[in-house]
Amino acid sequence: MDQSGAEEVGMHCHPPVHSPIPSGENSVWADVSSLLEAACQELQDGDLIHGDNFNLFAAMSALEIMDPKMDSGIVCKYYSVDEAVENGVAPVPISSDKTIDVQCTIDIMDHLLACEATWHNGHSLAQTVFSCIYLLRPDRTSSHAILHSYCRVIRATCKAVVSVVSDARTHEEEDLFTMTYGLPLHGDGDEKCLSMLNAVEEMIYRQLRAYIEPLQLNLDLEEGFCNALLCRIRFRKHFFHVLTCMRRPQGRGLELARKHIASCMSELECILKSAEFLRFGAFGTCDDGVEDRTTASGRAPIGFDASLNSRSSAPTPPRAIKFLSWEKAIKYFLKLLHDLDIVCSYSLDPMLEGVLRFVVQFQKSKPDLVARAHLQLLLVQDGKLYGRDPIFAVITKAAALPEVTKNHDIQKNEYIVQLGQLVMNMLKILCTNAAWQRRKLGKILQDWRVIYVQLELAFRNECGSVSSISDDENICVKIFKHILNWVEEQTYWIASRYLMLGFELDLYSPSEYCMVYWYMYVVLIKLAEKTHLRMAVSSGTAKKKGKKKKDSSKELAKESRIPLPVLFLQCHLCLAEGLSMMLAALRNELMVLQSPSPFNTERERFNQHFELLQKACVPDNISYLSFKESTAYTRFSTLVMYNYFKNAQRIAKEIKSSFSDDPDRLAEVRRLEQVAEHNGVALNVICRVGALDPSLKVSFEFTHHPYFATAVVKRS
Amino acid sequence: MEQEAEKSSVGGVGSSEIVSKVRKLLFRRMLVGIQDGRFFLGTFHCIDKQGNLILQDAVEYRCTRRSSPSPMEQRGLGLILIPSSCRTSCHVDCSIDEQLSLLNIKQ
Repeated sequence: MDQSGAEEVGMHCHPPVHSPIPSGENSVWADVSSLLEAACQELQDGDLIHGDNFNLFAAMSALEIMDPKMDSGIVCKYYSVDEAVENGVAPVPISSDKTIDVQCTIDIMDHLLACEATWHNGHSLAQTVFSCIYLLRPDRTSSHAILHSYCRVIRATCKAVVSVVSDARTHEEEDLFTMTYGLPLHGDGDEKCLSMLNAVEEMIYRQLRAYIEPLQLNLDLEEGFCNALLCRIRFRKHFFHVLTCMRRPQGRGLELARKHIASCMSELECILKSAEFLRFGAFGTCDDGVEDRTTASGRAPIGFDASLNSRSSAPTPPRAIKFLSWEKAIKYFLKLLHDLDIVCSYSLDPMLEGVLRFVVQFQKSKPDLVARAHLQLLLVQDGKLYGRDPIFAVITKAAALPEVTKNHDIQKNEYIVQLGQLVMNMLKILCTNAAWQRRKLGKILQDWRVIYVQLELAFRNECGSVSSISDDENICVKIFKHILNWVEEQTYWIASRYLMLGFELDLYSPSEYCMVYWYMYVVLIKLAEKTHLRMAVSSGTAKKKGKKKKDSSKELAKESRIPLPVLFLQCHLCLAEGLSMMLAALRNELMVLQSPSPFNTERERFNQHFELLQKACVPDNISYLSFKESTAYTRFSTLVMYNYFKNAQRIAKEIKSSFSDDPDRLAEVRRLEQVAEHNGVALNVICRVGALDPSLKVSFEFTHHPYFATAVVKRS
Repeated sequence: MEQEAEKSSVGGVGSSEIVSKVRKLLFRRMLVGIQDGRFFLGTFHCIDKQGNLILQDAVEYRCTRRSSPSPMEQRGLGLILIPSSCRTSCHVDCSIDEQLSLLNIKQ
């Protein structure tokens, strides 16, 4: 380090400073330790020496050095990776005894799997996968073919996963995930990892078959070791294939990805099975901490030290990491592969309604970040649906616009372009985690409302003179009307999803169920109304075409009645209305579920829950007062007359047969039917004995449906 | 000139000459070494009776090996508090004349 000459001069009159850090020009480092000490002795307790810009509050946020919870730079055992390597922490070969070497290689592979799963579950890459010193020094392993190829494929896989997640940008709350500062994620030649892995696989396979030049010296164990290595290597190979196939444009690699997913799953089964050999077969030892072990053998792996690059996980404070156990890691990967398989088996439905239904259904299984990112990248590519369907064409189909619209100039309208962006944005949001999704959905409601108003204005300007309608303008009027109706429908759909996600996130307390179901009911009414209008229009256009097709005569007969999707919605809204009225009656007559909160009034809670909906006027003219008006006088006697639950049950029975080829929606209808049936019975019981029997206890549970509660009546 | 400034800054908390001397070091570059071998370079911001230091815009320096000399790694940390218990050395960047005067005070 270049030290200034001035410092050398300073050393004459001062003990030399053993510091390679240069002082300023023409200045020296003067030791002030004893000066400070003397000054401190003269200070009173609580006194500080500080400048004018000092702020105690800001000073509280100072990072405390040597505090293990704040200081990620504490030097633990080694100052650097290189020093650790020089001290033999990560030897290559791992052991001169070939049997031990193979064993340790397998342990490293297993621990890396646990690290990877822990990373996917929200810890930093630096403290998980890259706690492996072999990964940090890519060139060191080159003489160890198996370890070298395995490290390469791990780095390449991490790189691919980081790229999926950061491209999808669904990771806002999970942003630790993509932090890779200072990590050798792009090892030279890592792109060749697959060919290297293939070569190693081939070599081990031949050794297994022919016992030429065995992997290690104990021939009794040769087969077990070869098999254990083979399934681990093959898993990595197929998993890397899965990731690359899924990234192909327009979902072209999905079919191939499914094959690799199936292979991955079967290799994982083999890996699980190999545990028995690795724990008992090899040495006949049994480890006690079976639950927490991160390797199949139960031994601690060689070559890992998370403290070495904990500084790379900055700016976050150092965190204690609990690694997933090896078995849990395998379970995690099985679930991830299962979720990816659902994405891959998706039919790329060109109808937006189908897309939304698929995403909502997919989210029910709580897929993790990696799977959600893949889905999002599949849905939205290059500003098109699946990178294939232009967004205006998607809207045309969704809003049931006439065919001619596709080429109509209207798509150049700036508000229509904006609408397309809103649709894309909505699709992306639907792929995020539940909490983030709900917040974002609440916010975009306003955007949808604004675009509606803007489109309406544009519609008036462009097609204003209705008196002089030419044929072309007539179409223009038609298009705008359909689009406006569809924008409203979509807005109400978002609102209903927003409300339902509140149940998933446990945001409502039982005393608030009444207002939540009531709000759900008013939103669903609007949604059903808009959907019905759209369906009526589309069946109108279909009828004209339908004349040519004879086989559609049956469907035509059905169309004269209420269309299926509308009935489906009606079933939901009957339940929502029934529940809100039942809860209101319970409150008005039996005085239950009132639970006055000491903190805020019912009106305040109403505003807190529905603020975003109210701001966006979804629906119009709905306020706390309208909620009060429609629930304040509800009585059981009037409730029985309306038969909400019976209606819901009847509709459910009616539409069940139509969903015989759609297992997801059939299951949903079944659940709705059960909720309706149970609540109908409960309501009857309360009506008959409720007022007379003060010991009657009514509670609500989500046993049959995640959003629609089932009333449970008990005598205490 | 510096002597004058010294006299005028006497006052506030502790009016001794030594305290005002330290007060004069505020906003100067300070280099603090700690037990585990790291150094912190930052602007002297505050010190309390116990000798705990606060540095502003601090940079951490660390050797890459236990056996010195070795190349240094550095990273920015911002506002840091160095407890007196782990401090092993403390230096201030100053001119040679000033250093002599600092030594004078101590003796």
